[in-house]
Amino acid sequence: MKPVANFPPSDGSMQTQEPRDAEPRPASGVEQSDLELVRRAQRGERGAFDLLVLRYQHKVVKLVARLLRDPTEAEDVAQEAFVKAYRALASFRGDSAFYTWLYRIAVNTARNAMASRQRRPLDYEADLSETEQSAVASRMSHSDTPEATVLSDEIHATVNRAVAELPEDLRTAIILREIEGLSYEEIAAAMDCPVGTVRSRIFRAREAIDRNLKPLLD
Amino acid sequence: MTDRIREQMSALLDGELPRDEMGLLVRRLERDEHLRRAFGNYVLAGEALRSPSGPLASAGFAARVSAAIDAGTVDATPVPVAQPERARWVRPTLATAVAASAAVVAVLLVKPAVQETAVVAGGAVQQAQRAFALASLPIVAESSPTPAHSQRLAGYLMAHSQFAGAIGRRNVWSSVLASDPGITRVSYEFAETP
Repeated sequence: MKPVANFPPSDGSMQTQEPRDAEPRPASGVEQSDLELVRRAQRGERGAFDLLVLRYQHKVVKLVARLLRDPTEAEDVAQEAFVKAYRALASFRGDSAFYTWLYRIAVNTARNAMASRQRRPLDYEADLSETEQSAVASRMSHSDTPEATVLSDEIHATVNRAVAELPEDLRTAIILREIEGLSYEEIAAAMDCPVGTVRSRIFRAREAIDRNLKPLLD
Repeated sequence: MTDRIREQMSALLDGELPRDEMGLLVRRLERDEHLRRAFGNYVLAGEALRSPSGPLASAGFAARVSAAIDAGTVDATPVPVAQPERARWVRPTLATAVAASAAVVAVLLVKPAVQETAVVAGGAVQQAQRAFALASLPIVAESSPTPAHSQRLAGYLMAHSQFAGAIGRRNVWSSVLASDPGITRVSYEFAETP
């Protein structure tokens, strides 16, 4: 793939620009929560940024893997995108949702990675010594290895099985939240129960799924 | 106690945690690795539910990002503290005021020195002008001939040339020309005329 004419600069100057929505729309609960975490991170609370990384790590890795068409670099590029986002966090004003801003950085970082890959000699890997090949192999992201693919498949299967085994009220609450993206208030209306009950049901569903996942991840 | 915190964590993930409960929870999560892992698992479960397949970030991904940030912040620009809304205009205004004050103080301090320098420089200029004027004046030495002197000298040379030999005459002419340029032209004309 050839770099496009209006290729973003590699210094990241374009990556911190926030896209502005044509018309302001009310921020969702997650967006407001993200914004609060960003504000805390801007004030020096590193834990707040760590939570944002935890929240968006899979989305960013998935996005970058699709853009690169070669998932061997996906985690490295995603990591670079998060580091860039952290360093540019002071410039985030909240005009757009945090994830929009983060995805923009991820897309530009992936483009830069593709351009730098094009500049590499074609026989680059063929010329590597055994030690260098080993170093490259160790740098391969975990999600690219056959073991990781199997693990990913197992995670998907385990989660879906755990949800299927949940009591109906917990299953409905977690599906409405995670798949349909409804707010607690909307779920409460749909299930005809108080918001506090929704919160508790979703929590208990997650705990049940976590109990199934733990043996797999540990 | 732990269940209450984990339930708060679940609500935070959904953007449903009240703002006043967030600070304490974020600080707890920063300290407690087990809680962070549980938060990561909640995220993972949601991701797995939404997409039936596809790559997922590996278990240590978030920790690696954190380590990379820590490694980078040693020599990279740290995240500056965000200024409150008020500071957006207060800060530049203050900076301008300080800069203006500094400029005024600098002008007040520098002005007397400039004046002194100007006086000194002015004196020097006057002296230089005076010296230049003196140098420009025509030097009138007491020995310089007036027209009357020149006429007398020319008469003397005429008389001398009538009685002196050629060599002696040339020597006298040479010495006269060398000693008094004021009569050069007159003397030369006189010399050619006869």
